[in-house]
Amino acid sequence: MRISIYRFNPELDVGPHMQDYDVDPDSGDKKLLDLLVRLKTIDDSLSFRRSCREGVCGSDAMNINGRNGLACLTALSTLKEPVLLRPLPGFPVIRDLIVDMTQFFAHYHAIRPYLINDEQPPERERLQSPEQRARLNGLYECILCACCSAFCPSYWWNPDKFIGPAGLLQAYRFISDSRDTASAERLAYLDDVYRLYRCRTIMNCTEVCPKGLSPSHAIERIRLALLRESS
Amino acid sequence: MPTPSPGRPRFLKLPSIRFPIGAFVSIGHRLSGVVLLIGLPFLAIALEQSLRSEADFAALAAQWAGPWRSLLLVIVVWAAAHHILAGVRHLLMDLGIGSTLTRARISAWATIVTAALIALSSAARWLS
Amino acid sequence: MRIFLGQRAWLLQRLTALLILLFVVLGAAGLLAGATPSYVQWHAFASSSLGAVLIVLFFGALCLHAWIGIRDIVLDYVHAPGVRLPLLALIGIILCAVLLRVALTMAAHFLPGA
Repeated sequence: MRISIYRFNPELDVGPHMQDYDVDPDSGDKKLLDLLVRLKTIDDSLSFRRSCREGVCGSDAMNINGRNGLACLTALSTLKEPVLLRPLPGFPVIRDLIVDMTQFFAHYHAIRPYLINDEQPPERERLQSPEQRARLNGLYECILCACCSAFCPSYWWNPDKFIGPAGLLQAYRFISDSRDTASAERLAYLDDVYRLYRCRTIMNCTEVCPKGLSPSHAIERIRLALLRESS
Repeated sequence: MPTPSPGRPRFLKLPSIRFPIGAFVSIGHRLSGVVLLIGLPFLAIALEQSLRSEADFAALAAQWAGPWRSLLLVIVVWAAAHHILAGVRHLLMDLGIGSTLTRARISAWATIVTAALIALSSAARWLS
Repeated sequence: MRIFLGQRAWLLQRLTALLILLFVVLGAAGLLAGATPSYVQWHAFASSSLGAVLIVLFFGALCLHAWIGIRDIVLDYVHAPGVRLPLLALIGIILCAVLLRVALTMAAHFLPGA
């Protein structure tokens, strides 16, 4: 199998280049990550992030044949050769397939990703009805792998100001939580030409989400919530 | 001592990225919007001319007769068709109609194909 | 400062779009039905107060819609303040000139004595 990988070593290289590898997958190699781990035994200078290898930690997000995805969830049998592996588009490259996620997580922190509730806590816990809990479905599953934000043109042009699909999906997760009392403040924070309204509903985010979530739908709901808020 | 790289590169070579169909509708929406914006001052001039006199009104249609000008007109027709169709698609999706991925893909294809067909039919009429 | 930036611009973009859509659909339906207006008909329409208001409203919606759209494009692609601000100003002036020209046309036409 031929794989062509984006290589960049800041201590040696002036700029990035593509390096070809020919490697035969073992019968046990099912996913792209299996092959990358095998490649690492051949060339230990190759760098990529990985941890859980089952689509939960979100660390092996990369651009695979032009689309963002998780190496651990991408079946080798679905890949067209040569397999082109590049780092997440638009993110600063630290080394090879490893990108700097600082800005991405700064946006995540800015939307205050925790329950805000100043009311007196009840004796045991804040209960939710099954319906209230169901509203978090499709939102809480986000693993912050950045596949969506790194595939969003609006995020490419304004990564410092636009919160991006991942951050906005997370924002909506807390806006729709019945236990959170800061919805109005959260919405007011988002009502900004950059933070929320850079989104042009291209839906690249939803196209590539490895968890099958729909950040574009969350953004649509935020805009409608803002509309209700102001009328 | 190796020479360290001056900064961190970013991978953002657009031709290397495999864009979904919705992205093509979106960039088409932008492009067509710019075309229509450029056409706007000419529309204002045409409005004045159309009201000036009967001869000027009649001359308006004749001005667009040449093959190159007809081609320009076809481009404007495509721009208007694509912009309006993509715009209606967005308005509906804003209200949650057709905003699931499968439906959005279908409406994206429909937008591109219909706008192209409208442009082609106007080309068949004016350029032949 | 929030008035024109976030939701207000997004909403105006959609309201003007609906207005433009209404005009274009009515106009296109008329043309496709074979009702190409004669000069006399067109002149009479533009001379009526309703016609004049509709024409000015149409161009007003077009200019506002175009302004929000092009501003979004500039915010995305043009980042140097030294380029962005003059570019936005130039486009704003052109759109105002278009509106002024339409207003003058209609005023001269609607008020022949003026």
